[in-house]
Order: sequence, then structure tokens, then C-alpha cells
Amino acid sequence: MAGLDGNNIAEVTFDLAEADGNGLRVRITGELDITNVDALESAVGSALARHPGRLILDLSGLRFADSSAIALWVRWSTAVHEIELRDVSPILRRVIDSMGLADTLNVKP
Amino acid sequence: MSASGPVSGAVAGPARGTEGEHETRSASDTAHGGRWPFWLPVAVLFIGLILTGVLVWISASTYSSNERRLLNLRVKDAAALFSGAFASIQTPLASAAALADATDGDTTKFMQFIGPYTTGKTPTFGSVTLWRLGAGQSGPLATVGAPSELSANPSRAEMFFAHTAATRSRLGVIGLLTQAQPRLGYAFTSPGLTGRYVVYAESRPLPANRRSKFQSSSTFTDLHYALYLGGLQRPEDLLVTDLKTLPMTGQTASDSIPFGSNSFTLIVSARQPLVGSFPQRLPWLIAIVGVLLSIGAALLTLRLIQRRNHAEELAESLEQIADENRRLYSEQRTIAQTLQHALLPEALPKIRGVETGARYEAGVDGVDIGGDWYDLIALDDHRLLLVVGDVSGRGVRAAATMASLRYAIHAYAAQNDPPETILTKLSKLVSVGSTGQLATILCALVDVEAHTLTVTSAGHLPPLLISDGTGTFIQGAVGVPIGVNTGATYTSTAVSTPPAATLLAFTDGLVERRGESIDAGLERLQHAATADHSDLEELLSRLLEELRHDGDDDTAIAGLRWLD
Repeated sequence: MAGLDGNNIAEVTFDLAEADGNGLRVRITGELDITNVDALESAVGSALARHPGRLILDLSGLRFADSSAIALWVRWSTAVHEIELRDVSPILRRVIDSMGLADTLNVKP
Repeated sequence: MSASGPVSGAVAGPARGTEGEHETRSASDTAHGGRWPFWLPVAVLFIGLILTGVLVWISASTYSSNERRLLNLRVKDAAALFSGAFASIQTPLASAAALADATDGDTTKFMQFIGPYTTGKTPTFGSVTLWRLGAGQSGPLATVGAPSELSANPSRAEMFFAHTAATRSRLGVIGLLTQAQPRLGYAFTSPGLTGRYVVYAESRPLPANRRSKFQSSSTFTDLHYALYLGGLQRPEDLLVTDLKTLPMTGQTASDSIPFGSNSFTLIVSARQPLVGSFPQRLPWLIAIVGVLLSIGAALLTLRLIQRRNHAEELAESLEQIADENRRLYSEQRTIAQTLQHALLPEALPKIRGVETGARYEAGVDGVDIGGDWYDLIALDDHRLLLVVGDVSGRGVRAAATMASLRYAIHAYAAQNDPPETILTKLSKLVSVGSTGQLATILCALVDVEAHTLTVTSAGHLPPLLISDGTGTFIQGAVGVPIGVNTGATYTSTAVSTPPAATLLAFTDGLVERRGESIDAGLERLQHAATADHSDLEELLSRLLEELRHDGDDDTAIAGLRWLD
């Protein structure tokens, strides 16, 4: 399940913005795996604590996510009132479906 | 410490190095061949000083030989000047002698002629006397100027004139230097055959200490000089000098100036270097600069050596660190693999009627423990539980979660819980909110005799059932992974299996590739597994070999094949 891309750290960028209903909108661009998922967690963690209402993950720029990324999103889903995954790629959608997490992560088409 | 201590001997050691070994190693490394010795600066200084010495010697000897050459030229010049001056002495005496001879000793005419040479501001002579020679009638006829010193000593005069005549010299010179008023005497014999008359002149008195200066003559402005009568350079022969003390010191040059029956010797030395002051100072300059440069070069060498040796030490310690890192890395890899295998079943249970097999392959770096596992648990003589699971993340935490899940499954299986109950109970053990971990688990209860399967999935990929060259994924209800929801419930899917069917359960490392849908991976597996009719062990090995893509993810696969 864990995707370790050799010795290289996968490239990823995060953009945070506030959203309606005490929400947070996080746009993730690049690739997300076990090598950089901690960076995402620390980048979003404190903002998430201030905005526990709603978390919107904009994944239109996300090319790859491994199970550790999905585990982090599931963990966030337990920390906020409502989570929403937007613009999920078909490949990622298939992984989320195969793990039975489409409802948990509230995947929008 | 020996300079020939081998370095390699310390490198190849057991994986677990001790403190003692490290000390031995650094001690032998100090004698590394790459170090520069500390005597090198001394050698550089030595060579620099030798080169300086050679250069100083060359420049000094060049200066000296140039100086000598110039001094020799100058003494010839000065001698020529003296020769010219002496000619002005000889000419009036010769004329007076010729006059005396022609007038047969007419004293009036003699005195008329020679008188002007003894008067005036700078008279040529102090006194001039006309002598008659001849047995019985020898003696002075007339004297012009001051009284003659030689006249007071007739016997010496006779000897001097006789000597002058005997040497057939027209001009005789005598030094009256021991008298109260030291002076030179010149005698010119008449040109006639008989030589009846001699014109004898005495110079003006010389200074008592002989010191004099030819300031007017540029020839002597930069020279010290001393003029002697004769060739012996005795103090009593000194005629004139500019020095207070003699003999001259330093480099000197001399020349002999013939004059009548006698000669003069001129000795000169340079007041200042004739070739200029720079060539004289050049050896000193070279010496100072050379010594400073040598010291500088030696210090620079010392500094270079220190830096180089420091860099060598750094390189060595970096090498040691790299070795240590490699050792630690391989140690960690060994620990990870050992732990991983300790967490997997030691041996698979033997159940009559089925063949079982399983594989675990670590990720390519193998440093971290993965979270994948497999298990086969015999429930009784005809039923077994086949489990494949995958804990998200890596490392000790993932391994710990994996171990606790695995043993919990053993415990629940021992209580005879069906798969859906086992997973429902497991979901209460793990929470992603507290541990940050999820686990996908596939739990399949196999009844060998009844040819049935009861499959429950907690977010796991479906198992593949192969029969008669056809592979089918058992797509049942998929519950959420363990850890998502402590209140999750699971349902199972029951299927009956055809005779000699093969069941394969696996983790995503076998089918997942970055940038590709897992459906493509599942299809690849389906194709590879159905095309292969070898026995189960071979099938598992070949699937791992063919399907694992980049090998960066760990992979577990468990298989079961009915024998009938």
C-alpha cells in the first residue's frame, strides 16, 4: 500500500483558502505519497483545527495519491464536520472505491 | 605508530563494529599515504636559501668584476693624465739643456730662459740649477728660484748625475723626500755628445703629510689615489694622496708610469661604486628578498600541508561516516527483514485436500518494515482462514499495528468467529484518528471439503479465483478499511468453488502502478495467473517476478489450490 518513490521525495504543492461555513479549501497539486504526506499534514493541520466545519480538498491538480494520503484524508474526515473531495481523477476514484471509502471521503464527481 | 600500517585491514570488519575497532582504525588511518610530511617546509626554506645564496654570489661577483674592470680603465686614464703632466716638466728642462750646450754654459741666457718657470702664481719648479759636469770642474753654475737641496750635498749630486748618465737616460728623477722640505729633483743632461751640462730642477716642496687634492680634475673626483715614486709603494716613497691613512683598503688598481730613469706608481680605489650604487646594493637586495621569499614559501607550504592534511582527515572521517552509514543501513535492512519475517507465519498449516503457498517481498530499499502481511490459519481439519492485509504507512508503527491485527485475528478465529465478525471486532481495535493508520484486510474462510468460500473485505482488493483457465475476481461487498470507523460492520459473500480451483489473495503492490488504473493491474494479474498452469509455488514466484513493477512497494500474496 505504501508508495515509496525510490529515494526521491515526490513533488507537491498546497494552496489553502478559507471556505464557507467555517471551512477550509485545500488545493493539492503534484504527487502525494508516503515521502511527502507529512508535509501536507503539517501544512494543513493547524488551519484545520481553526476551521473544523468543512474541509474541501480540490484534487484537480493531483496526479497521484497513495494509501498513506488516503489514510490522512480519512483521518481528517474524522476531525471535521464535513469533508468533500472535488475533481477526483478516475484512477484515484477507482482506488477510493476499491477501498470502500467513497462515502467516508464524500467524493464528488 | 607505524607508517606502513594497512588501512584496508581495518575496513573489512564484522558488521557490528566496537569502539576499540574504531580507535584502531583511526590510528592506522593517520598513517595514510596521502598526507604530506612536515619536513617539507624546512626543505622549501633550505632550497630557497640556497637559491638566494647562489643569486647573491652571482650578482656580487658580477658587480665585483665590473667594478674591477672599470677601476682598471680609470687607473689607466689617471696614469695618462700624469704622463701628460710630466711632459710639461721635461720640455723646459730639455730646452734649457740645449741652450746651455749651444751657449757653452751662458748663465745669463740660462737664467733668462728658465726664470719664468720658477715664478708666477703656480711655478712649474721650485728651483732650477745649471750644473757643469767634468772632472775637477763639476758644480753648479747658476740657480734660479729657491736654493737647491741637492746643491747642499754635492757628493750625492755627483752620484745622481753619474747614475743618470750611466743609464743613458735623458731625464733622471730623484726623490728628496727625507729632507726638511721634501721634493722631487729632475736632471736633464745636455743633448751634446760630451754631456757637459746638466739642467737640474727641484719641484716645489711637497706637503709634509703628502696630502693633496686634484679637485679640478674630474678624473679624480670619484677616486682615492696614492702616487709613489718607484715601484715599491713604500711609505717613504709616497708623493701625494688624498687619504689620511694608507695603505688603501678595498678594491684597488694600480698602474706604473715610466718617467725618465725612474717611474711612478699610481694606486686608486673607488670612492663610490663606479658601476653605480644599484649593482652594489643588488646582492643585498637579492639576499633580503630571497630570504623573505624563502620564509614566505616555507610558511605557505606549511599552511598548504596543514590544509591538505586537514582535508585528508575530513575525507577519511567522511569515508568512515559513509562506511558507518552503509553498515547501519545494511544493519537496519537486516533488522527490518528479520522483523518482517518474524511477523509472518513461520510455516503454513497443512490441510488435507489443498495446497497452500504464500510470498512476501519487501520494497526495493527494504530499510523500513512494510505493513503488508498474509496468514493462513487452520480452524479444524477441513477449514482454514486465509488472510491478506495491508497497514497504511511503513516502519515500526505500521509493523506493530500489523502484528496486533494479525494476532487479534488468530484470537477471534480461535473463538470460531466468522470473517465478518472478525473484521467487525477488529474495527474496534484501530482508529485512524488516534494512530493515523488504516488497514485493508481480506478475510476468506475456506471450507476445503464443501468447496465453499466466505469472503469479507475491509477496503481490500478482491481475491482472484482461477478455474479451468478462467480467472474471476470475487466482487463482494467491500466495507471500509479497519480504522476508519470503530463502529463499522461487515458483510460476507459466499461462493462455491469448482474442483481444482485456485484462490489468490494479494496486496496492491502486485497490481498498482503509478499513473495507471488498478483495473489495468488486475487485468494483468488475471491474464498472468490464468496463463500459468504450473504448481502453486511456481505460480506465486512467477507472479511476483512478472507483475511487480518498480518494486518500491512491498507485496504479500497468499494462494490456495484444491487438489480435487
